[in-house]
Amino acid sequence: MNPLLELVAVGREQGGRELVADLSLSVEEGELLVLVGASGSGKTTTLKMINRLVEPTSGEVRIGGRRHDEEPAHLLRRRIGYVFQQVGLFPHLTVAENVAVTPALLGWPRERMRARVDELLALVQLEPRRFRERLPAELSGGEQQRVGIARALAAEPPLVLLDEPFGALDPLTREALQEAFRELQRRLGFTAVFVTHDVVEAVLLADRIAVLRAGRLLQVGTASELRQSPADPDVEALMATPQRQAEALAAKLGAS
Amino acid sequence: MQQALSQLPPLLAAHLQLAAAALLAGALVAFPLGVWATRRPRLLAPVLLLASVIQTVPGLALLAVMVPLLVWVAALAAPLGVEVRAIGFLPAFLALTLYSLLPMLRNTVAGIRGVDPAVREAARGVGMTDRQQLFRVELPLALPTLVAGLRTATVWTVGMATLSTPVGAPSLGNLIFAGLQTRDTASVLVGCGAAAALALVLDGLVRAVEVGLTRRRRSITVAASVALLLLLAAALLPIGRRGEAGAGAQQPVTFGAKPFTEQLILAELMAAQVQEKTGEPTRILPALGSTVAWDALRAGTLDAYVDYTGTLWATVLKRTDQLDRDALLRELSAELARRWRVEVVGPLGFENTYALAMTEKRAAELGVRRIFDLTPHASRMEVGGDYELFGRPEWRAIRSTYGLRFAAERAMDPSLMYQAVAAGEVDLIGAYSTDGRIAALRLRLLEDDRHVIPPYDAVLLARPRLRTDRPRVWAALRELVGRIDQPTMQRLNLAVDEQHRPPGEVARSFLRSGSR
Repeated sequence: MNPLLELVAVGREQGGRELVADLSLSVEEGELLVLVGASGSGKTTTLKMINRLVEPTSGEVRIGGRRHDEEPAHLLRRRIGYVFQQVGLFPHLTVAENVAVTPALLGWPRERMRARVDELLALVQLEPRRFRERLPAELSGGEQQRVGIARALAAEPPLVLLDEPFGALDPLTREALQEAFRELQRRLGFTAVFVTHDVVEAVLLADRIAVLRAGRLLQVGTASELRQSPADPDVEALMATPQRQAEALAAKLGAS
Repeated sequence: MQQALSQLPPLLAAHLQLAAAALLAGALVAFPLGVWATRRPRLLAPVLLLASVIQTVPGLALLAVMVPLLVWVAALAAPLGVEVRAIGFLPAFLALTLYSLLPMLRNTVAGIRGVDPAVREAARGVGMTDRQQLFRVELPLALPTLVAGLRTATVWTVGMATLSTPVGAPSLGNLIFAGLQTRDTASVLVGCGAAAALALVLDGLVRAVEVGLTRRRRSITVAASVALLLLLAAALLPIGRRGEAGAGAQQPVTFGAKPFTEQLILAELMAAQVQEKTGEPTRILPALGSTVAWDALRAGTLDAYVDYTGTLWATVLKRTDQLDRDALLRELSAELARRWRVEVVGPLGFENTYALAMTEKRAAELGVRRIFDLTPHASRMEVGGDYELFGRPEWRAIRSTYGLRFAAERAMDPSLMYQAVAAGEVDLIGAYSTDGRIAALRLRLLEDDRHVIPPYDAVLLARPRLRTDRPRVWAALRELVGRIDQPTMQRLNLAVDEQHRPPGEVARSFLRSGSR
C-alpha cells in the first residue's frame, strides 16, 4: 500500500516558539488516523499544515507522492475536504449552496452539483427536500455539523481533514455523528486525518492513533498497540483513561 | 410661496444631480479604499484618520476652500488647454464627495472586519482565492453594514448640498439662502422641506435595494433600483431650465451676488438690463461667498458682479492706506486691470458703508448730527453692530479718532439691529448705509466728519475680456453706471426686506420706471 499522505520532519516555528517540531507521519490510502493530545500539543497546527492553512517552516508534506506546495494553495485545498470545529458554514448561503461551494469553485455543471448536494445530504441523514433551501441559522448544532461534513465531502476529495468536528455537540448527537461518520468513511473509502482531545472518540474511530505532546509526536499505532506497549508514561496514562473512566462509571451506576 | 414653488423643479433636479454624482464618486472611492485598507492593517488608521479630519472641517468651509484651490488648479491647467471652472458644479461636487467618504469608508472597514474569523477560515479552507473570499463571503456578509454607510452618506450629502449655493452650484440651498436674506419664510420652508423629502426618498430607496438583496427578493431589488434610476434620469432632464432653449450655443451671461438683499437685487437688475438690451440668456448665481465671487470673476466663471471699493481695496489689494473717493477708485481700477485684467465698468452711484445710525428723535434731543457730536454722550451709550463690526479696522479708527468710549458694544444679527435701535434697546448701531430700514424706521445717519470710514462705492466689475468678447453686454451694463443713488438703493432694499417683494420684480420695475 502506498501512503496517500506523508509528513517528513515537518515543523512550524512562530514568534520564536516551536509549535510543531520534526514531525514525521504517513497515512495509508483509506485509513483514518486520529491525532490526539492536550490543548497546545500542536495537533490542529499539524492538521492545518497539511492543507496549508498554516505553512510549515521546515520539512515537507507529500500528498499522493507530490509535494503539497507545488501548486497554488487554493487549488490544493479544493482537493482536500476540511471540517472545522466551529463548523464555519457561510451564513448568507443556503444549505445547498454551502454544500456545493467547492464544486462551484471547481466549475462543476449545475445539474451535477444539484445531484451531488442531494446525494450528500442523504448521506449525512438530512432529508434533501426539507433542508436544501434552509439557512444555517435555522439548523441545530448537530444539523450544522452534518452540513459541514457534507460540504467537506462534496468535491469527492481523496483526503479529508477534521478538526475536533464533534467537540461542541451534546453527547447523544456526538455519538450519532461519530457512528455516521465512521460508516461514511468506510463506505466512500476516503483517507481521513481527525483531530480530537477526546481519547474515547479516538479509540472508537481510529484505524491508528498518533499521540502528540508539546509539538512532538510521542507514538503512532493502533489503539491496542498503544495500550499494550506505550512508548512513554504519558501515552500509557492517556490510553488508560477510557478504561479507568468506564470502570469508575460502572461502579457509580452499579452502586446507585 | 408661489414664487418658491415655481423655482423648485430645476433646483430640485440640480440638487439631486449634484448629490447623486458626489455619492457615486464617493462610493467608488470609499468602498474600494475601505476594502484595500482592511488588507493592509498599517494603512487602516491613517486612512480613517484622514477621512475623520475631512469630516471635522465645517461643511461651508470645505466648500469655500475648494474655490481658491480650483482657481489655482485652473491656472496650472490653462496652458495645457484644459478649462477648469472654479465655481459652480465642480467645487461643490469635490467637497461633497470628500464629505461622503467617511461613513462609507468606516462602515466598509467595520463590515469586513466584523465577519466571523471562523467563516473567513472556512472560505480559505474550501479553496477560495483571496478575491473569491472577498466577493463571495466577506462583501455579502458586510453588505448590510456597507449599505448603512451609504445611507448615512446619502442623508448627509443631500443635506450638505444645500450649502453649495455660495460656491455657485444651484441647489435647494438657493431657496434657503435667498429666503433667509429676504426674510421670505415660505421660500426657506420650501427649500428645507424639499431637501428633507429628497433625503428620505433616496434613503428609503437604498434601503429597499438592500432588503431586496439580503432577502433575495428580486422583485424588490429591481423595483427599487428602477425607481432610483428613474429619479436620476429625471434629474438629468432639462426641466424648465431658464434661458436654455433657442439661445444657440451662446453661454448665458452669468451674474454673481453675495449673500445679502442688495446684491441679489443688483444681480437681477444687471440680468434684466442685459436681457432687455441684448436678448441674450442670463443666469444668476446667488449667495456667493465674498471671496468666492471675486475668484469666480477673475477666473471668468462670472461675467459681472457688484463689489464695493473699500472691500476690494482692503481684501483684494490688501491696502490699508487712505485715499479720497475719486483717487481710490482710479487707483483701484488701474490695479485690478493691471494685475488681473478685471475691468471696473463704473460706479453705480451709491455707497454702502458702515454708518453710525440713531433714531431721529434721540438725535434731535441730544443735538447730534456728526459722529463728533457723540463725544459728551458716548460713555452712557450702548452700541449695536453686526458680528464683524467691532473687530474691523474702521471701528478702531472711529474710536481712536473721535476718542469715543461706549458703555457697551453688543454684536447681534444684522437683521435685528435696526429693530433694536428703533425700540431703544441700544442707543446707536453700525448700520449699512443703503439699508431701507434706515428711512422706514426714521433713523439718522451720523456724518463721518473726519473721514475715518473708507469709501465703499458700489462698482460694477466685469471679467477679463468681457468688453471685447461681448461688446453688447458690456454696453448694456455700462448704461447702469451712475443710475442708482443712495435713496434709490434704500428704497429697493426696503421693497424686498419689508414689503417682501421678489428681488427680480423690484429690479424690473426699477428699470421700467427709470427708462422713461
